[in-house]
Amino acid sequence: MHPTLLIGPSDWQPERMPKAEFLRRIEALWQSCPDASRALVYGSPRHHAELAYLTNFVPKLEPAVALLSRSDEPRLFVGGGANMLGAARPLTWMENLAPLKELESARTSACILIGGGYMSTMLRRSVGDAPDVTSQLWTQMRCKSSCELGAIRESCAILGAAMEAVAQAKQSGASVTAAILAGERAANDRGAQDVRTLFSANGGRTLQPFGMLIERTVDPLQLYIAVRQLNYWAEGFALRSERPCPAAKKADALLHAVLPLIKAGSSTSAAAKLLTSERAPYQCHPVTTGALANSFGLALEETRCTDIGTTFEAGEVYSLKIGVTDGAYQHAITSAMIALREDGSDILWKSESPIIRAK
Amino acid sequence: MNFQERLADIYQRMRDEQLDILIGLHDGAHFIETPNPVMVMSGFKSLGAAAVLLRAEGSSEMVVTPAWDAERAAECCPETHIFGGVDVVETLLKLIDGRSLVSIGLAGLRFLPSEIAYRITAAFPQARPADAIVFDAARIKTGVEIANAREATRIAERGYQHLLHIARPGISEDELAVTLKWHMKTLGAEDNFLMLCAGSHNRAVQPSTGRRLQAGDIILAEITPSYGGQLAQICRTVVIGPASDELARKYALVVHAMNQGIAAAVPGVAMAEVCRAINSVLEAEGYGEFCHPPHIRRRGHGLGFGSVRPGDVALDNATVLEPDMVFMVHPNQYLPQTGYLLCGEPVVMTAQEAEPLTEQKAALASVPS
Repeated sequence: MHPTLLIGPSDWQPERMPKAEFLRRIEALWQSCPDASRALVYGSPRHHAELAYLTNFVPKLEPAVALLSRSDEPRLFVGGGANMLGAARPLTWMENLAPLKELESARTSACILIGGGYMSTMLRRSVGDAPDVTSQLWTQMRCKSSCELGAIRESCAILGAAMEAVAQAKQSGASVTAAILAGERAANDRGAQDVRTLFSANGGRTLQPFGMLIERTVDPLQLYIAVRQLNYWAEGFALRSERPCPAAKKADALLHAVLPLIKAGSSTSAAAKLLTSERAPYQCHPVTTGALANSFGLALEETRCTDIGTTFEAGEVYSLKIGVTDGAYQHAITSAMIALREDGSDILWKSESPIIRAK
Repeated sequence: MNFQERLADIYQRMRDEQLDILIGLHDGAHFIETPNPVMVMSGFKSLGAAAVLLRAEGSSEMVVTPAWDAERAAECCPETHIFGGVDVVETLLKLIDGRSLVSIGLAGLRFLPSEIAYRITAAFPQARPADAIVFDAARIKTGVEIANAREATRIAERGYQHLLHIARPGISEDELAVTLKWHMKTLGAEDNFLMLCAGSHNRAVQPSTGRRLQAGDIILAEITPSYGGQLAQICRTVVIGPASDELARKYALVVHAMNQGIAAAVPGVAMAEVCRAINSVLEAEGYGEFCHPPHIRRRGHGLGFGSVRPGDVALDNATVLEPDMVFMVHPNQYLPQTGYLLCGEPVVMTAQEAEPLTEQKAALASVPS
């Protein structure tokens, strides 16, 4: 569940994401929009992938708008008043920061708009008829640079540590929420920028966010963990059980069957067809319905912008999700994070075997 | 009041306004400042965008996204017909036949992102704003919400004790905030608006950064856990190392102002009087300039996530205080000699007064340097 305030290390780290990386991205934006001389880029605490992509800035509390220009110094307008600028500065490579209320006097014509759909109605109206090129930017965002791949690898490493911590806690007899919290702590201890979890208390039939402490243990434990580092996300589904779980075995087998099909230029429908044909006697789990895979990076939830197309593409990172259910008592979801190259693929993280023995 | 009584109140207000359908909308971005009509009308805290429909004849329906969250919604709201969908607007439109023939009220529209708001407005061009119907009925908390606020306060106080235990030079603001948030989650807080920052002279309380704490820093912490979807908040100030006499004096002044504000909060008076009582203390000491923007915006606020009534503790808030209202009283004052200082307590209005929910009220604390 999206938190009310983003809490976690989000300071810009120039040694990991150099300013040149962001300038390259902005230059690519200008090349894709040759008629634009300025760009307004909006981000809210909930939706800010585009803003983070171009400025590194993550609006933790209130929205922000970047004003990019071909000729002038870029400016970042931060919500919350002048007193919030001090906390905003470390989060971006941009140096010219101002309160959001000063945006009105700064705007000019010939702007393109990015993130307009996330804006409040009032702010969107004030921008006028600026063409929204958000989806165009996402085309550019899908192909990951080496810096981005490095960040995602780090997120995946933390994800692995968090999954392992949950498994160990469960193995030691921890309650379901205690096990989840152990995973979150492991991620925090490794400096994660953010960690989100979902879990199942009903054998994997549904998932729920942390609501209140649940003192009982559950087996099998279906879990979902997403970890963010250097603004880039990794996510994973895993099932942990002390008993043989046929659904998990099936999901695992499907994952291994479909992974070889995930390569640059291959058909996404071929992968989907294999899953459909090999899934029997199970059906698709509701959580993974219509979501074999999606492009992954700066956003957890921008599904329309991250839907896979007709082919898998080199340079992209995908989150591949396989879920099965018998509609009764057997349910399982497993997943992998995979980066595609022209000449192959790298599995950045993959769910491990579900069976753990109780201590 | 309980949830059913509040819902009955909403239905009656619908009938008074001759509405056939009342739709509450929320985008799933739960924010301390933003009221959530879906939570008020259903008690459900959604993962994604959601909508609740109340029909004048007494039935209720809810649209949730993602679709697979429908079962959790059904467990929360057994009397409500739940529809899971990929898109909240598309699913909502399927539930309403003859949209132009019925009288529809909308609550929560102005807080939605434009992408959703524009589609709702286009689909229901004749709809009327109905926020007042929902949030007037939710101006006072239910018994469960008050109990949850008490538990959230208990968690906040324990979180504060943990802060005193671990805050030391060298730890970064982010590390401290992450650790505290996790600690309070282990106590049952499903969310936390934890604003924490530190410096030798703070201009305001801000979200944490990677700045590392130093000896002499003043740590500002708005510790705001949520328990069962109900926020509570305590505002605290901690100095790393011994506190100067001046800091101690100024903090005592701000605490005195807070106490005067709490004392002024009695049923039947306007919220503005609470603000006035706080301001009077500081104005008397020559800080009148600092009692207004840009130094201070308000002296407290309501606590959601559902309803944020009775609103801000501000001079322009004419809301009359009633029993079972829950809100923050926090002077949170910038003083030129010390910088920004935080002190604040959550209070619940009783029949006679404002009762702080905390066991220990704000006092300037010091941790070893």
